[in-house]
Amino acid sequence: MKRLRRLFLAPAWAVTGVLFLTPLAIIWVYSLLSRGAYGGVIWQATAENYQRLFDPLYGMILLRTFVMASAATFFCLLLGFPLALFISRAGRRKHLYLQLVILPFWTSFLVRTYAWIFLLRDTGLINTALLSLGVIREPLPLLYNDGAVLLGLVYGYLPFVVLPLYATLERLDPALLEAAADLGARPVTAITHVIVPLCAPGFLAAGLLVFIPCLGAFLTPDLLGGGKTVLAGNLIQNQFTTARDWPFGSAVSLLLMAIVMIILLVLLRRGERLV
Amino acid sequence: MRRRTLFLMGLAGAAGCARDRRPRLNVFNWSNYVAPGTIPGFEREFGVHVRYAIYESNEEMLARVMSGNSGWDVVFPSNYYIRPMREYGLLAPVDQGLLPNLVNLEPEFRAPEWDPKLEHCVPYMWSGTGIAFHRSLEPAPRAWEDMWNPHWQGRMTMLDDAVEVFGAALKKLGYSLNSTRPEELGKAQQEAIEQKELLRAYINAEVTDHVVAGDVLAAQLWSTTAQQAIAASKQVDFVFPADGFLLYHDNAVILRESRRRELAHTFLNYLLRPDVAAGIVTATRTATANAAARRLLPLSIREDPKLYPPPEVMARGEWAQAATPELQRLRDRLWTEVKAA
Amino acid sequence: MSRTGQRRTPGLLGLYAAGAYAFLHLPLAVLAVFSVNASRFTNWQGFSLEWYRATLRDTHLAEATMNSLIIATAATLAATAIGTLAAYGLWKRDAPVLSTSLYLSLVTPEIVMGISLLAFFQWIFRFLSLQLGMHTVILAHVAFSVAYVVIVVLARLRTFDASLEEAALDLGATDWQAFRHVTLPLILPGVIAAGLLAFTISFDDYVITSMVAGVDSETLPMVMYAMARRGPNPVLNAISTLIVVALGTVIVISERLREK
Repeated sequence: MKRLRRLFLAPAWAVTGVLFLTPLAIIWVYSLLSRGAYGGVIWQATAENYQRLFDPLYGMILLRTFVMASAATFFCLLLGFPLALFISRAGRRKHLYLQLVILPFWTSFLVRTYAWIFLLRDTGLINTALLSLGVIREPLPLLYNDGAVLLGLVYGYLPFVVLPLYATLERLDPALLEAAADLGARPVTAITHVIVPLCAPGFLAAGLLVFIPCLGAFLTPDLLGGGKTVLAGNLIQNQFTTARDWPFGSAVSLLLMAIVMIILLVLLRRGERLV
Repeated sequence: MRRRTLFLMGLAGAAGCARDRRPRLNVFNWSNYVAPGTIPGFEREFGVHVRYAIYESNEEMLARVMSGNSGWDVVFPSNYYIRPMREYGLLAPVDQGLLPNLVNLEPEFRAPEWDPKLEHCVPYMWSGTGIAFHRSLEPAPRAWEDMWNPHWQGRMTMLDDAVEVFGAALKKLGYSLNSTRPEELGKAQQEAIEQKELLRAYINAEVTDHVVAGDVLAAQLWSTTAQQAIAASKQVDFVFPADGFLLYHDNAVILRESRRRELAHTFLNYLLRPDVAAGIVTATRTATANAAARRLLPLSIREDPKLYPPPEVMARGEWAQAATPELQRLRDRLWTEVKAA
Repeated sequence: MSRTGQRRTPGLLGLYAAGAYAFLHLPLAVLAVFSVNASRFTNWQGFSLEWYRATLRDTHLAEATMNSLIIATAATLAATAIGTLAAYGLWKRDAPVLSTSLYLSLVTPEIVMGISLLAFFQWIFRFLSLQLGMHTVILAHVAFSVAYVVIVVLARLRTFDASLEEAALDLGATDWQAFRHVTLPLILPGVIAAGLLAFTISFDDYVITSMVAGVDSETLPMVMYAMARRGPNPVLNAISTLIVVALGTVIVISERLREK
């Protein structure tokens, strides 16, 4: 069995080692080198890229990224949980409802984001509707602000919450709910006092699946934020393109990874499984 | 299982059919920079196959070709990218003996400041940065200063590009667009931070849609991109700002990695042909560097002041310059501060 | 009493779910509407199928779709095979370094992954005279989808009764036979689900693909992104609508079949 197990793990080892850990090591080496005049790196060791990270400007950007990612995670969980609950109780139609959650995500991410622009702008659907109903006189500034970025992130990651939460709810014993009801618990009480605590591991996994990609998001802030904010993802992307400062971009990337790693280690040490 | 294998074989077969035996040329160009018939015409005439793909920014192109084994033969960097690319060893020398049609270029572009002897590039198209605006604006914007007009708060946009935003601010302050002085750039940054409150967004070509719809009333935009909005709506106009503006010139270059340099030269010479160049300009509404082609255009296009500004307007333009790494770093830092403000 | 209570919750929940589905599908509806708009820009100028004709005529789009299908299929097959084997191995006994690496790759921001892969390929290619292309895109896609497969299959394995496999071994099956004929068939739904997930992710990926793609490997998201950046383009709306309608039909039909 041992030999077979090792054989089974070998391809995954190869892929992870060659295509994930090695590239990461290269980025680490880059982060210790000096920038080339027109991009690339010069083989001259320096700690400067890491020193720059202590600049309050970049601290601010990281902080803002954390706040944004936390808010997106919170709203995803808040909106996703009832939907997952609904699907898990939908009986025969379960699979159809589940597929309907995923369906929009077969179109390109970019196109979906552009669709939000059509909806949110001054002459967009929402403003036009509100204006013609007489609810508002002036178009609401819905697009190109932090709210629009948050909306875009929540929209983009909602399925990442619904799927794991659904999987967790599926495994719950329905007898528990019946017991709660028999003891006189009202449905809302049953949900808040029985289901939610039992789903804690699911919430954790789902939250991580949203929180971490949000830390690196750069297209949504660019497109829906109108380029008026800069999050960590934008900062990194900019270093590798316009600013042509690969070593600093590498250092920021590694900082982000380190933060992710610490979060993971803390959670894994508590014995939580991600699935 | 077997069905899946068949499916895969079908895919591989379909991919194989797409590959043909004709000589190949790989061309990577800006979007909207050839006419629908340009590439097929070249393929037919010379019996070759062209792989043509597009990009939207110099950075995007450079990131791809920087490794020196990207596979592309011909790309179209802007003037201020020529020197960096040459110094980085990415460009192959241009053999003028293979380009008899070079004589068709406007005299000023036969010795441009970014490559006076045309050793590494062939000028192709040019454009300037100005203001696209909705005609309902009273009074119509005429200088960069107007992009700080508090009455238009929330209805203006600037390009999402440090060079452009700082350039406009530098001009508003009366400095050179290509200023490298930290104190001048610092002042420009203050202007940009003030302006940020008034702006709806930093946004590039996508803004045409907002201008046509009337959401955005004034937008910093490139002259050639603005043409698309003007074509779509009578309500849209464009102006080269009175206080000065940036000029860009996109050039065809052959990459050093190219193993098909002769064919690449044939392609460049084809693009320089008056009829071909005129066809491109008619379809794309851009400003060509080709004098012979321009003579073939209808008067309305040839003398359109929003594409080919008259000499007195041209005099206020400045060609964008390559940035040194120090300037690049300073500008990036200042720009990040503007964005984070 | 408990029965009425239970009925009321689904009612409220149902209402909520309707709202949530509207939220999820609203952007698609907008796309569908503008895909039949006569104007190139987003002001309504009458009904037209012009953009669908343009979409179907566009050979560039067709080629990119083909590339995307080839890449997603190849990457999915490889990632599903590798991931399933690894999940089985990890289920037998955890290998902390490997599983941590896999989790880490799952949570690496896309932009970091794309850049590190590009740096890696550029570095390797300095020694080998190779170019970026379809193969690098496929490798990159395998790299980021293996972890998803492992997680989904592992979840399935954890609900699997290990005694079944032990029974097979007791009856004289070799380790491989037990895996191939007992375990694998039983976890197959999980494997298929994992494959579907990998395919979806691969088909939609833009950030990583755009960094490691070469001359002949432009994918559909790359072409669509380039189109979108150039300003409004109803062809995009048309192709998105086509994808959703086609897939929606497949889903509804397969549900009907499942119900029967």
